[in-house]
Amino acid sequence: MNETAKAISDRFTERFGDHVTVGATLAGITTLDVGVDDWQEVCRALRDDDDFCFDQLTDLCGVDYLGYGLSEWETDDASQEGFSRGVEALGPGRFKWSERPEAGNVQQRFAVVAHLLSYRHNQRLRLRCFAPDEGLPVVPTLVDIWSSANWYEREAFDMFGIVFEGHPDLRRILTDYGFTGHPFRKDFPLIGNVEVRYDEQKGRVVYEPVSIEPRVTVPRVLREDSRYKTDDVDLAADAQAEEAAAQGADDNG
Amino acid sequence: MGINNPVPLAEVDDILRPSADANPLMDRGFAVTSIDALLNWARSGSMWPMTFGLACCAVEMMQAGAARYDLDRFGVIFRPSPRQSDVMIVAGTLTNKMAPAFRKVYDQMSNPKWVISMGSCANGGGYYHYAYSVTRGCDRVVPVDVYVPGCPPNAEALIYGILQLQAKIRRESTIAR
Repeated sequence: MNETAKAISDRFTERFGDHVTVGATLAGITTLDVGVDDWQEVCRALRDDDDFCFDQLTDLCGVDYLGYGLSEWETDDASQEGFSRGVEALGPGRFKWSERPEAGNVQQRFAVVAHLLSYRHNQRLRLRCFAPDEGLPVVPTLVDIWSSANWYEREAFDMFGIVFEGHPDLRRILTDYGFTGHPFRKDFPLIGNVEVRYDEQKGRVVYEPVSIEPRVTVPRVLREDSRYKTDDVDLAADAQAEEAAAQGADDNG
Repeated sequence: MGINNPVPLAEVDDILRPSADANPLMDRGFAVTSIDALLNWARSGSMWPMTFGLACCAVEMMQAGAARYDLDRFGVIFRPSPRQSDVMIVAGTLTNKMAPAFRKVYDQMSNPKWVISMGSCANGGGYYHYAYSVTRGCDRVVPVDVYVPGCPPNAEALIYGILQLQAKIRRESTIAR
């Protein structure tokens, strides 16, 4: 990791030219944005070229950029109130399903992010590929290049509905059998659509529509609490304030 | 330092205690009791739980079973099969995907059977109450005898729950109704 970020970025630009866009370097990992048409080609070169030798795909996941940048929890300006800045100063965030971000106003909604590791050069790399169509996001598979992509791509398909073209066995991996929807999409209701219960008559577990109201738990910050007033000084000050208030009320009356 | 088992205040009350002053079994070679009391004594003294660890609560359950707390002392011996189990300890988050399998395991246990629900998730969904994939309490799927609160409950809490279930079993009457 003694190569500078500039030198790394130059190497990628030199090798791939316009096919990649070199992004920010965070914690020693550079981000490359790759077009969906060059996705497999660039990945194969990154694995096979002696300059790169990224032998291992350590992670692959999906990202939903719907509502990206629209902050529910503005936390830039820290204050003495601590966490309550997020719940009092700027409204309660999106706690109502009707206020969810709607699809259709996003240019590039879904992306696939992959992390690579090169043993030979002791280097890591982050790749991002935006899917061109929000309705049916399709990205070429990487299973032929790194076999570890198999279950990661199934997970990204399950959670985000990103279709990996050429995947040998693209089916759900985590969610329930017969599940509908993709739960990590920003427009999926957190509460879900069904709940289960054992039915005595049918003698099996049955699925029913959700019967409870969705809710986001808001942490309550209690500061006006008797526990904070145990000091004699505080008690004395309180007594004085009350006296003053009583006198003021008398004067006005 | 550390945790020590408390020193017993008196000798453990047991009908087989050889040094008892007036133990009829040791004195005369027989004892008179009701069948119900005998059944309950046998059942509550050998509750074999079905190992049903689903999440982090299972780690506390393991600790309760390990050397320091040693559930074997209570005749609680973990079984890997529902056919050999009397009690099911639901330790962890029950998801919708797991629910049918969970009910099947419960149905495969032979009667009489009991269920201990361990931890917030099994009691009522807990942290995941408003999530799309979690069953809001394992009592939606099986009848529960004892709820152990906590997130996760520590090993002592689980043992207390097991003792509560023992007390509950001792109050049951199988013959006399």
